[in-house]
Amino acid sequence: MLLHLIKRDVLLRYRGAYFGLLWIFLNPLIMLAIFTFVFSQIFQARWPIQTSDIPFALNLFCGLIAFNIFGETVSRAPVAIRSYPNYVKKIIFPVEILPLVPLGSSLIHGLFSTAILVGALAWTGNLHISLLLFPFLLLPLIMIAIALTWFLAAWGVFIKDMSQIVPVFVQMLMFLSPVFYPAQAVPEALRSFYTLNPLSSVIEALRAAIAGVAIDWSSWSVALVLGFLAFFLGYTFFNHSRDEFADYL
Amino acid sequence: MSLPTTSDDIIVSIRSVSKVYRTFNHTGDRLKQAMTFGLCKYHKDFTALKNVSFDIKRGETIGIIGSNGAGKSTLLQLICGILKPTSGRVQVNGRVSAMLELGAGFHPEFTGRENVFFQGTLMGLTETQMADRFEAIEAFADIGEFIDQPVRIYSSGMFVRLAFAVATHVDPDLLVIDEVLAVGDAVFQQKCIDLINKLQSSGTSIIVVSHTPYHLEYLCHWAAVMRKGELSELKPTKELLSSYHELVQDELSRSPDIIRSEREGTKEVCFEKIYIETDSVTDAKTVHCTDSMCIVAEVYAKNPISNVFFRFEIYSSANELIAVVSTLGLAETIQFHGKHRITFNMSPCQLTSGWYYITAITRTKCVRLDTWKRVIDFKVLMKDKNAQNLSMDHGLLVSQGQWEFS
Repeated sequence: MLLHLIKRDVLLRYRGAYFGLLWIFLNPLIMLAIFTFVFSQIFQARWPIQTSDIPFALNLFCGLIAFNIFGETVSRAPVAIRSYPNYVKKIIFPVEILPLVPLGSSLIHGLFSTAILVGALAWTGNLHISLLLFPFLLLPLIMIAIALTWFLAAWGVFIKDMSQIVPVFVQMLMFLSPVFYPAQAVPEALRSFYTLNPLSSVIEALRAAIAGVAIDWSSWSVALVLGFLAFFLGYTFFNHSRDEFADYL
Repeated sequence: MSLPTTSDDIIVSIRSVSKVYRTFNHTGDRLKQAMTFGLCKYHKDFTALKNVSFDIKRGETIGIIGSNGAGKSTLLQLICGILKPTSGRVQVNGRVSAMLELGAGFHPEFTGRENVFFQGTLMGLTETQMADRFEAIEAFADIGEFIDQPVRIYSSGMFVRLAFAVATHVDPDLLVIDEVLAVGDAVFQQKCIDLINKLQSSGTSIIVVSHTPYHLEYLCHWAAVMRKGELSELKPTKELLSSYHELVQDELSRSPDIIRSEREGTKEVCFEKIYIETDSVTDAKTVHCTDSMCIVAEVYAKNPISNVFFRFEIYSSANELIAVVSTLGLAETIQFHGKHRITFNMSPCQLTSGWYYITAITRTKCVRLDTWKRVIDFKVLMKDKNAQNLSMDHGLLVSQGQWEFS
């Protein structure tokens, strides 16, 4: 059923468009092209503290893939349930899977972006075997995303403002996480905050994986534990408040 | 409708169920309450259901009737498990197909076919099970090649047909119907009722909520009235509906804004008093449909006047004009001066049971003398509802007659 819903969600976004599902592929491709042009050609930017010869745009793209999975999911979370009042009120439906729909659909989008990333890495001759860890490394990020989605989806039912507040925070988080820069470039004094941010550990681990260098497993594990904790908290909270959804929608 | 031979197989069991909604005046109040972990109260309680208990056995059809906001839909949502009761227990054994709103799970962008399959998945059927049923669903909905068009371009009739077809073809143990039969054209409605009858005989339990007594009468074995969250005892449908009818009319007659009589005219001839007289009572408020009934008007004319007409109009409580009687061509020659008494005798009154009101008018050819709108309300009762020589207590008119068979 969840798969059905995700399929619907993805199909729906492209239904009626001339290029249809091609957009899933075209969107990240265009984005990567722009990044390459702007950062490599115009800014002539170099990745600070370079450990490999992966171009700037690809380092950036890698972080962005991970962040987008998180950001897209969380931004849509407040309306994940609110926008399906019929499913809550008019038909018999397992409501707890509704928040998983945005995650599923952003994972699918992430998958296509990753395919492009892999293609680009191969093109630039940077293919490493550790790339296979990519999906596994995403695990803490996915857990956190689900946890937040459960929280936000439940709150979103009761408080309409959530759908306004959340995107602002997501935007903020994008700049506070090492998406456009490596975590090592952060001043020493603030670095400890960054290690606490599970997004940061995951993105750094992903970058290490595509570069084929050693992954910082300790901070990744911390992120995983945080992820599990958040997951259970989120689920408990969601189950606690779900009985009241129908009353408030 | 005959009662089915039911097993003791209980599909739905509802035990002293209450539902209280918390209403917040302001969204912020909800936050405040959450912050204080419910220690401070910022809400008002609204009780939608009070201590409701009943059972539905396999193959039974239960009807629930009641005015808007009586709690009917809340009850259905509790049965479907969409809402949780505040107290009490709801137990349902088997697959429930909910028709709280037809096509609620449909997405306008997807085709009819896609939506049908999706709806099947929602009900817990596999793709192959759905494929087996698809032909029957398509045939029942009868919307032709539109089945492969997005649902958003459907006419509302097509939409409803398809939705009804899906909901009834997934082999539910319990079918929950909320006021959805009042849709579609007459042919389709009949088709729905036939299909429901078929489901009934195959052992599906059904619970129907409606405020149109008509459907309940044809579908339900048992019925109950819901009033302000309280459910009456389940009774055989016919018995219940007649008492419900009384209740509605009583309530109507009591609401103050409806009894508002208006008068206008030059008052050269004016009504002093208008009332209904039966064989036994002057100024009667209730009339039996088989008895005679007199509309009496006492009028007063200050100066001698002739060429006056009188006219009584009888309206139903739904403001439908039922009958008009007029003295046109009868009283022109009579000169009115001082007090007069005018009566119109209806024998028998022949109206079906319910509430009615009368408007009285007097005028000359060109001048309105006195128009008294809704001067009296009265109630018609039917004493012997099973009388062989009378038509049924439906529609507007109870007429006398005999059947003949040859």
